[in-house]
Amino acid sequence: MKLDRLKLDRMNLKAWLGVISLILAFLIPIISGIDTYLLTVLILMLVFIMYASAWNLLALSGQGSLGHAAFFGIGGYTSAIIAKSLGLPPLATILVGGLFAAFIGVLIGLTCVRLREWFLGMVTFGFAVIAHTITAELSWLTGGWDGLPAKKIIPVSVQNYLMYEYYLMLLLTVVVVVIIWMIMKSRIGLAFEAIRENELEAKVMGINVTRYKLMAFAVSAFFTGVAGALQIHHFGYITPEVYAIDISFLPIIYCVSGGLFTIEGPILGTIFITLLDEGLKNFGWTYERYIVIGLILILVVRFLPKGFVSIPEKIKSRLKSHP
Amino acid sequence: MDIGVFIQILVWGLYAGCIYILLAIGLNLIFGVMKVVNFAHGEVLMLGAYAAFWIYTYSSINPYLIIPASMLLIAILGVFIERLGFRPIMGTGKLNEIFLSLGLIYLFQNLVAFLWSTNSRSIRSPYGEVVVPIGAIKLPLDYLIIIIFTIVFIIAFQLFMKKTTTGRAMRATSQNREAAALMGINVERMDMLSFALGSALAAAAGSLWLISGQMATPYMGSIPAIKAFAVVIIGGLGSIPGAIVAGMTLGIVENVVPLLMSSLVGILGFEMSFTAWKDTIAFFILIIVLVIRPTGIFGEKGE
Repeated sequence: MKLDRLKLDRMNLKAWLGVISLILAFLIPIISGIDTYLLTVLILMLVFIMYASAWNLLALSGQGSLGHAAFFGIGGYTSAIIAKSLGLPPLATILVGGLFAAFIGVLIGLTCVRLREWFLGMVTFGFAVIAHTITAELSWLTGGWDGLPAKKIIPVSVQNYLMYEYYLMLLLTVVVVVIIWMIMKSRIGLAFEAIRENELEAKVMGINVTRYKLMAFAVSAFFTGVAGALQIHHFGYITPEVYAIDISFLPIIYCVSGGLFTIEGPILGTIFITLLDEGLKNFGWTYERYIVIGLILILVVRFLPKGFVSIPEKIKSRLKSHP
Repeated sequence: MDIGVFIQILVWGLYAGCIYILLAIGLNLIFGVMKVVNFAHGEVLMLGAYAAFWIYTYSSINPYLIIPASMLLIAILGVFIERLGFRPIMGTGKLNEIFLSLGLIYLFQNLVAFLWSTNSRSIRSPYGEVVVPIGAIKLPLDYLIIIIFTIVFIIAFQLFMKKTTTGRAMRATSQNREAAALMGINVERMDMLSFALGSALAAAAGSLWLISGQMATPYMGSIPAIKAFAVVIIGGLGSIPGAIVAGMTLGIVENVVPLLMSSLVGILGFEMSFTAWKDTIAFFILIIVLVIRPTGIFGEKGE
């Protein structure tokens, strides 16, 4: 009984923290005014919160992808091409980009269902390299290495368009995170976890492992594609650089440092690492900041395997054992 | 297509295959003993190339004589990677190994870029101008030396594993860790040794690549390493003969296929280059192999 109360209190605390940080996020442009640099950093941070949360959902089912840039780029290119050729508004084509990424995700997932961790890592990585080459070679469609222009989400002609874009991104991020959170809490999320913990046991319990693994791929690829499309409609152009290895690795770094398999982990990790990265960049550091990020990743894996979100827990147990 | 060109590309493929084989044997050894995959193996190759470059710059002796020194240095680094990185997280899940490797990749690449810039470095081989005429075609002597070096390394490695007590102990550890420990084998020392040997082979690959005219940059290791992973998977985890066959095949196929494709398209009357597809061929093969056999072609005991 007491334990239940404690759990409830912690849930409440989390919810309150979420609401407070949302209010803060809402107030930032009002407090700081329309600061182009700040808003750009925040918009990209929101895009990567969606992206990292989507990667985390796939990892929840035990499938650690090393090539999520494939979905990020496919979502972006699909959206940019359709917006250009059919003249649709980006907000509609973003969904098409996500859906096409989900479709490719199921195809890639089909090759991955029987694979173990690092085989799967290699295959997904390979698909990102293949997607990169195909995109660069299909220059009549994709513009090759020069890339394509992409419509802005909010036209530049609108006054303070960056602020509207920020609020739009904030809204979409909340929607995406809440949907992913609901999936994680539902039976589907439980099935994912069961598969990750022990695939054979999950199968014995009557879980259709293949179907759930493909579902994880589809949903994760969908939101990754949406995030990719949002990013390129923010930039206003897309080049094959969206398939860069870094784009595949960043969500992993964010999720691992924040806390894998939790809803708040990817959010915290993205905020912390992007702010750190941005701060070090302003400090004039170039390679050093990647050294720092690499070291953080190594140290987290070694000493804090549950990520930053487990720090309060760690401190509490430390206090308990050394009163 | 000219048959001479074809043979020259074949030799180029053989030469690339040697690099993949040296990397793949090291990966296989480490996986066999520790059941761990170091995704940062390509960065170990890169550090080996840089070690060779700096030793050469300060000593300017024949670059081929530098290789053992570079291997020794990187073997020591391998021990550190094992002790400080992989040993503490052993048994905490395969995903953690991948994450740790990612951290190592970021660390090594950017440390090198920070210390020595991203400028590409090269060594002038003393035999750079020498070619060996075989029939109508001319082969660079450096390529032949590398192929011979690789053969020597493979034979020495196999002799070590089969004939020496330490080598036997390592094989025993990879077959059954608990039983080996009960027989009095210090399995933790075998872990260390496997990382040292595997890293030394990667350093040899990096040094050989640099000497034969490739450029050393902080990012040089990622593509060959990824292909070496593909070779390991295709050849079967833990299988050395598999790695040799797969490495040779990949080296040749990825160089011959783009050529065949463009001459095929040429027959149909189009002009198209397929060189951009070179780096994707390894993955196409990998994906096809894994769809058919999720444990690789020769893999019996795939994890």
